[in-house]
Amino acid sequence: MPEIRGNAAQCMDGKKKTDKRMTLHDAVAAYVHDGGSIVFSGMGGAQCVAHAYEIIRQKKKDLTLIGDSPCDAGDMLMGAGVLKRAELAWCGYAVAGLGPNYRRIVEKKIPHEMELIDYSNYTIGLRLMAGAMGLPFLPTRSLLGSDLMTYNKDIKEMADPYTGETVALVPAVHPDVALIHCSRADITGNAQIFGFTANAENAARAAKHCIITCEEIVDTDVIRQHPHATCIPGYAVDAVVHLPFACHPWNFPYDYAYDIPFHGEQTRAFKTREGFLAWLDEWCFGTKDHEAYLDKVGRKRLQKLKDIEQKFCPKHW
Amino acid sequence: MEAKHTLEYTPTELMIVISAREIEDGDLVFAGVGNPTLGALLARMTHAPSSLIATESGCIGPSPKRIMLGIGDNAGLENCIALGSLWRLFSDQQRGFVDIGMVGGAQIDRFGNLNSTAIFGEGDYFTPAARLPGSGGANDIANCAKRTVISIPLERRRFLEKVDYITSPGFLTGDDARRQAGLPGGGPAAVITDKCIFRFHPETKEMMLVSVHPGTTVEDVQKEVPWKLLLADEVTVTPPPTAEEVAMIRALDEDGIYTGTGLKTLTFDRYIEMLERSLAQFSE
Repeated sequence: MPEIRGNAAQCMDGKKKTDKRMTLHDAVAAYVHDGGSIVFSGMGGAQCVAHAYEIIRQKKKDLTLIGDSPCDAGDMLMGAGVLKRAELAWCGYAVAGLGPNYRRIVEKKIPHEMELIDYSNYTIGLRLMAGAMGLPFLPTRSLLGSDLMTYNKDIKEMADPYTGETVALVPAVHPDVALIHCSRADITGNAQIFGFTANAENAARAAKHCIITCEEIVDTDVIRQHPHATCIPGYAVDAVVHLPFACHPWNFPYDYAYDIPFHGEQTRAFKTREGFLAWLDEWCFGTKDHEAYLDKVGRKRLQKLKDIEQKFCPKHW
Repeated sequence: MEAKHTLEYTPTELMIVISAREIEDGDLVFAGVGNPTLGALLARMTHAPSSLIATESGCIGPSPKRIMLGIGDNAGLENCIALGSLWRLFSDQQRGFVDIGMVGGAQIDRFGNLNSTAIFGEGDYFTPAARLPGSGGANDIANCAKRTVISIPLERRRFLEKVDYITSPGFLTGDDARRQAGLPGGGPAAVITDKCIFRFHPETKEMMLVSVHPGTTVEDVQKEVPWKLLLADEVTVTPPPTAEEVAMIRALDEDGIYTGTGLKTLTFDRYIEMLERSLAQFSE
């Protein structure tokens, strides 16, 4: 009998604790191991930036990134030499520009060669959903007819056994660690996202271990007041990290606006390899943790991003 | 009110206006960030007030008072009617609820197949001359939206007999190839360029020139396209934007973030001031 994959029973040790609070440093040190695989929340905003900096600070190696459309958490990890493989739909900085490290690693193999497997946003989402459902694969009408199928041998084409219609199949994925940023959570990891969730709820459940980071830690009674917003229950969570402004320079819904001028400076610096390495020295290795990064950005600047957001999209809970 | 046509517009503004005209009232529109979103917002302000914009992060039907700076920007949540997940929205598309998807690419062929993955140059997929961001949601939209509208500049390096890599299928090899491959969506309805508009022949699915923008000739278009152009029975001149349409685009992107070079010179203080100004303007 083949082993049944995708059963969470073997990775429950941390999930039964009632108080899962940790620092970002300790959570990354405890769960992200060299050679393992990771996935981040976010989509076109709400990106896991502090998480990426911490993984780079701890000089993790040979990781596999599973991602829909990671920005900083794709491009910077590639430039820092953290990734040996990436299974992605997209990588870049969107309005702020292309991903210079992504281009260098694929075009010039700088800083080293990385295996790259192309998917689409929906089909990465389906792989995480299959993983979250404890099923081996899901069918889709995406990918058919495209060269994603030509170069990615993990995508299969088959006739629906019921109707004979052609569908594409994508395999389930179980990343070792999901890093998910939320609006708020309690100390057990019952996590609420008030903005869009993209693929977060499935990434958290598909992964063997889930690190929740949040803008705010609240009492369980507060969680109970808005239960519809709990997109990840504590039973799927291993660690809870209080991490305000974790997405800077990106926006986070109902909390702070996008700091696009900062991102402009960042991507301009990344255009050369030297510029990128100097940026890491200053903003990653030059700051001991995320709080030090925020001090360096400037608390007044961060407060302005928070204040302006409350004028457009105030917290409604 | 009689619409007044204006000659004072940029090629980018014309492309935005044309993409807006492709949107029908009531449409659910999958729009990427930048000019496609400006087109979708313009449609809502003019002939398609009940159309809904959807962004890949899971925001549906926003009515923002500021420019959208990403598919997951907070502007996408402003006054929206639904907020959910990526997988749910794309499943809605696969189910057939998305009327129109706005897509782009670096290369296009005569059947509307698009490449946004890699320019091979002297290399190949594994070591390309230029790695592009990748599909993102474009492949999903191309396969499953009821129709797509492609925006791409008319340039010889972009219009090719064969693209290096098909990221987003158009009509594949033409005729019935799309249906045979199992793609449920209707495929490209139009290709909007800075010089002209193409549609597709109803049977062969070959790209067909239907209109040229003011000041452009059919010969100008042929020069940028390597195959012999298929012409519609009557190639018309694209109606230019009205003065009102141009004014609306300039109000939506007052600082030229997408329609100009505003992003390059945007300081933090000017950015906050831009947001304050936008809030005041659209709260009137």
